[in-house]
Amino acid sequence: METRDVIRAKLAEFDLEVSEADLDELVPAYENLLRQNKIVEGMLESRPMTKGMSMPLSEPILVHNIARYR
Amino acid sequence: MAMNPKELAHAEIAEIAPLIQNKEISPVDLVDLSLSRIAELDSTINAFIHVFEDEARAVAKAHEQEIMSGAYRGPLHGIPIGIKDIYETGPTTCGSKTLDGYVAEEDCFSVKKLKQAGAIVIGKTGTYEFAYGPPTLETHFPPTRNAWNTDFECGGSSSGTAGAIAAGLTYAGMGSCTGGSIRWPAQCCGHVGLKHTYGRVSRRGVYPLSQSLDHAGPLARTVQDSAHMLQGCAGFDPLDPGSADVAVPDFSAKIGRDIQGMRFGVMRDLYEDSAAPAVKKAFETALGQLEKMGAHIVDVPSISLEELLAFCFPLMWADAAAIHAQNIKTRADDYGRHTKLYLLWGLCVSNAAYQNGLRVRAQVRDQQLAALTTTADVLIVPTVGFQTPHVLEHTPGLEFLSGAAFPFYTPIFNHTGLPAIQVPCGFDDDHMPVGLQIAGKPFDEQTIIQAAYAYEQEAGWVKQRPDL
Repeated sequence: METRDVIRAKLAEFDLEVSEADLDELVPAYENLLRQNKIVEGMLESRPMTKGMSMPLSEPILVHNIARYR
Repeated sequence: MAMNPKELAHAEIAEIAPLIQNKEISPVDLVDLSLSRIAELDSTINAFIHVFEDEARAVAKAHEQEIMSGAYRGPLHGIPIGIKDIYETGPTTCGSKTLDGYVAEEDCFSVKKLKQAGAIVIGKTGTYEFAYGPPTLETHFPPTRNAWNTDFECGGSSSGTAGAIAAGLTYAGMGSCTGGSIRWPAQCCGHVGLKHTYGRVSRRGVYPLSQSLDHAGPLARTVQDSAHMLQGCAGFDPLDPGSADVAVPDFSAKIGRDIQGMRFGVMRDLYEDSAAPAVKKAFETALGQLEKMGAHIVDVPSISLEELLAFCFPLMWADAAAIHAQNIKTRADDYGRHTKLYLLWGLCVSNAAYQNGLRVRAQVRDQQLAALTTTADVLIVPTVGFQTPHVLEHTPGLEFLSGAAFPFYTPIFNHTGLPAIQVPCGFDDDHMPVGLQIAGKPFDEQTIIQAAYAYEQEAGWVKQRPDL
């Protein structure tokens, strides 16, 4: 699937249509997003999670964990 | 102390407050001075979206009477301030055509607190659209111009507050910060921006960009003035789910203490390969000055800029897109083109990528907390790695989301929640200000204020003002 079509499909989930001019801007940004996703995956693999921090965090948990180190 | 009007307009709160307390200057005089300078200069600077002329005068008169009767509230009493136009108080546009005509029914939590401390809200200051879409000469609201050189912008997104302080239109103000929107504009305008610990100041009534990254904090001319402002707005708010139920200390308690033996952890891996030469030079000079003051400069581990950008913007714009998803369907044309494109990009972030971003964020926070509990007392890094940009004539594309170099070091402390303060550390080759940021342990704003104040006093950049 072409990147333009992927973006169209993703935005269609939100009932949004995009112009060709918008897609011209979004295609390189989306391709960079995919590259960034790989960097993040690499960070997760290369640095083991600290004990007790293996779950995705929600905002209140972030606050509580900050408070732990006070 | 005799000051002419221009000197008075550019004075520090710490200088003026004793004069107000001693009844040598009236809040009415200060409000009149602010309003006259806004009338004279703001058609060029564009710092304000709304000016509360009548209300500010009336409030100033009431404060004058209160002070004359001996009821002095503290350092903010009678001080004119600006409030970023994403805070609910009076007319509130968020810098967007989509909110033209909206008037808040009541003041937001932090503005109420500042008013209780005696500050006088002189007006609402310009902002990037919803705190992220930068204004250009083509957008609904014009960009705020920088008093150091009006060909340059003020950074953002709290551009109006920063520009108003630099131009001597007001003495301090509130900004908001999701990725650097307090520290970057403060840097561009040569003053101080204080991003407190996540949860220290309520965001209730401040239009959200990202609930997990948003901070609502002050900009001011000096470290001391920033501490006064934070004192005025900090405090637990049970109706902000991110608000922290912690005691509010005296943020000025460590001001004036030396930094002998304090360990500054340099996050070299974050900026070394990307900072502009002028930024690096100013920063390295600052490290040398700190060392001469008795501080220890140590390297601490850090993620790279590429790693930071890989998770910081996907998380931020996914959050923003969720907030605006309904509105963008029906009113897309009322958003600035750049803002709309950011939102569309944010809607493309997958849930898996978002969750992985949150997990990486936890890693980075643990890395910083480990450094702060072992090798360093504070962390230090340039505020941003690029020089202040010119005012944008045309709406830019999505270059910086498409892999273009974007050395923006501020978001790391939004993601880790640590307090961070920007202080000026020199000028670049355009004679525009350059800054550094000092971050510290959660809820230990006192120590970063101590460190920043000591550097600020030694370096002396704080004494320089734009000639306006």
